[in-house]
Amino acid sequence: MLELHVWGPAFGLASIDAECLATIAYFAQTKPSADYQLIQSSPSAVPTHHLPALHDTATDIWITSYASITGYLSSRSSPSTSSSTSRSHRADATAYTAFLTAHAAPLLALSLYVSSANWASATRPAYSAILPLPLPWTEPPAMRAAMAARTAHLGLSSLDTDAEAADKADAGWVQVPAGLRRAVHPRPGVAASLTPEQAACIKLEGLAADVLDVLAEVEWDVPGQQTLALRCLAFAYLALMLVPLVPRPWLREAMTSGRYGGLVDFVQGARREWFVEGALPWMEPKASRDVVIRFAHGLAQDIPIVGAEWRRWWAQRRRLGLRTAADAEAEESMTAEQRAAENDKRQKTSVRSRNSDLIQGAGLALLAAVNAGMLFYKSANGEFFYRGSSPFGELVQTWRPPPPALAGFGAVGAMFSGMVMSEVD
Amino acid sequence: MSTTNASTSTSTSTNTATAPRSSKPASASASSPYSWRQAMPVPRLLQQLFDLVPLATYSANTLPARSPSTTPDQLPTLYVFASDEDARFGAPSFNPSCLKWQTYLKLAGVRFHITPSTNHASPSGALPFLLPARSSPTDSPAPIPSNKLQHYAFAQGPAPPPELTSLRLEAYQALLDLPVRNAWLQSLYLEPAHAALLDELYVAPASSSGWIRASLRAQLRRAAEAEILRTSSSATAAVVDVDAVYAAALEAFEALAGLLAESETGWFFGAAQPTLFDASVFAYTHLMLRYLGPGEENGSAQAAEAPFVPARLGVVVGCAGAGELERHRERMLKRVWGEPLVDADGVRRSIE
Repeated sequence: MLELHVWGPAFGLASIDAECLATIAYFAQTKPSADYQLIQSSPSAVPTHHLPALHDTATDIWITSYASITGYLSSRSSPSTSSSTSRSHRADATAYTAFLTAHAAPLLALSLYVSSANWASATRPAYSAILPLPLPWTEPPAMRAAMAARTAHLGLSSLDTDAEAADKADAGWVQVPAGLRRAVHPRPGVAASLTPEQAACIKLEGLAADVLDVLAEVEWDVPGQQTLALRCLAFAYLALMLVPLVPRPWLREAMTSGRYGGLVDFVQGARREWFVEGALPWMEPKASRDVVIRFAHGLAQDIPIVGAEWRRWWAQRRRLGLRTAADAEAEESMTAEQRAAENDKRQKTSVRSRNSDLIQGAGLALLAAVNAGMLFYKSANGEFFYRGSSPFGELVQTWRPPPPALAGFGAVGAMFSGMVMSEVD
Repeated sequence: MSTTNASTSTSTSTNTATAPRSSKPASASASSPYSWRQAMPVPRLLQQLFDLVPLATYSANTLPARSPSTTPDQLPTLYVFASDEDARFGAPSFNPSCLKWQTYLKLAGVRFHITPSTNHASPSGALPFLLPARSSPTDSPAPIPSNKLQHYAFAQGPAPPPELTSLRLEAYQALLDLPVRNAWLQSLYLEPAHAALLDELYVAPASSSGWIRASLRAQLRRAAEAEILRTSSSATAAVVDVDAVYAAALEAFEALAGLLAESETGWFFGAAQPTLFDASVFAYTHLMLRYLGPGEENGSAQAAEAPFVPARLGVVVGCAGAGELERHRERMLKRVWGEPLVDADGVRRSIE
């Protein structure tokens, strides 16, 4: 049985994440629904720390990322389906897959994650609906930060007005009332009344056209023309551009403007044909105490300096115990004595893993302490500081003598201080 | 304190550098001890003390060889990552994006010098950039960043390569920007096997201090890792999936070799002349074959038996398709660096 861990459904699509959606589309077309299970998940729940992740329960192999999963499936299936495409088709498929990841993904991230209006009213609620409490407090912001990093090279962080508002709030504690502010600052012009999307409109349209022009040239509708894996991936990105109803629909408008009718038809046709209502084998998510630990880890990652290191350490630690497809292949080709040696080693590592469980327990206790400390600090700090400070500045004013100068040492001092002065001059 | 840091390329007007032997501040500001003494009465004790430490006057420093005013015969200068010796001979840079533009400008027939430099010297924060030739000694032309170099080559080069306007090219360009670049970063910056090479290319020229080198190395590693994580699809993963990075590069090189096999002229997209895309591919394949090829220290017999190590990207390039990329690299080398390298003094050298 294959277990496919993916982000949950949103916007009327099978998943909120493009690669997860592509994987689901790929499975829906290649496997009968009895052969696999779909499990709603989030990156902190799987040991690979990335979705989509495929767990082959028969061999206990974990595979992550879309390209690896489709590669694994096509290597397992009969060779007739995988080798039928010509060399130039395969080359094109590789190139367009890289293009989608390099250019379509940042464009989509701009629309759904970086743009504050779309994030607040569409994407974030969608994440809240698919994550169990209290995870919506930690995971969506982390996801948004990762997506913002992907779009950093486009120079369009102006769409994110939250960051700006935070800067303003930090600027000072003196709040000028709105009535007075108008007297100080001139009346806002046209530029101030534009939304950031309208202000960056030409640049956004250019970006969208750069990506969609390249994709529109390809014939997606003809099944034999492109490999299935590429069609699924293109569908996933295009569907997430077209389908979600967002308040600032610049990307959707760019697609439906008429120049890219072929792409719109492809997405709508694929939605109808590939996804039959209720045919996807979703598993009921089981409630588990994992959620608390995942939440604690999410909190720990927000600690300013230690957080990033913690995240790395945790991800690396969980990856160590993983079996990958390469391991399985290596084991198949092992001889008997090698296997015996391997068993020996495994027993030793099991002892070590018991030790590391102890270490992990200690780590978790430390983590809990740090989290409690953070919460306490955040809630208590402001109040204690406020109570501790006196209402109108310091009660007792102390006069302190100025620091002793050279002139204090009589005639010699005066001479020296004159020299120092002349040197300064 | 010797004369090496007393004068930089900007301090051409200072012809004497005075270096006080003592740390007394009063002596440093005086241009001549006699005028100073007459203007201000000094206690005898202090005067005797100062007489014990005479001022030494060093001869003027010569300008560094790389300073712009001494470049001969008024050629534009391309600032790239390169060793001093490579720069003297105009040999290929060891940085992919520098090599790409160096190759392109040479393809266009532009004559230029190259100068070793670092990111900090660049107005845009990234190398390469080109400083056009100066028409007069007081002229200060604006530097040209790498994204405007193609226009520059069209305007200045006697034989600018044909410009391809194919949307399919964009897709293949993404192969270089994403899987190939990430594999290069992973292999050179993050593989422990190539730590010595990284030190030789990027770390050692920057400083001789062990502490600074260690910190620089750590910075480079962190930046490379962040870049791989940022651009690959696994944006939320905290660690790089190394196998996936190399697998993607392997596929990318297969695709590029397949694309090249379609062409009858031997250049990508069937162009009659090598284009910017050829230069971009060459920049990676040449560096991978030269620096990340099969281990030379093992000897060729052992290298043949050694297991396939994906970090040896040169081997990956050589195996891609039917060796099209390796042949393409040789054609490019022959065309662009076909003549033996000669420096300003007439000394000859081979490319490797």
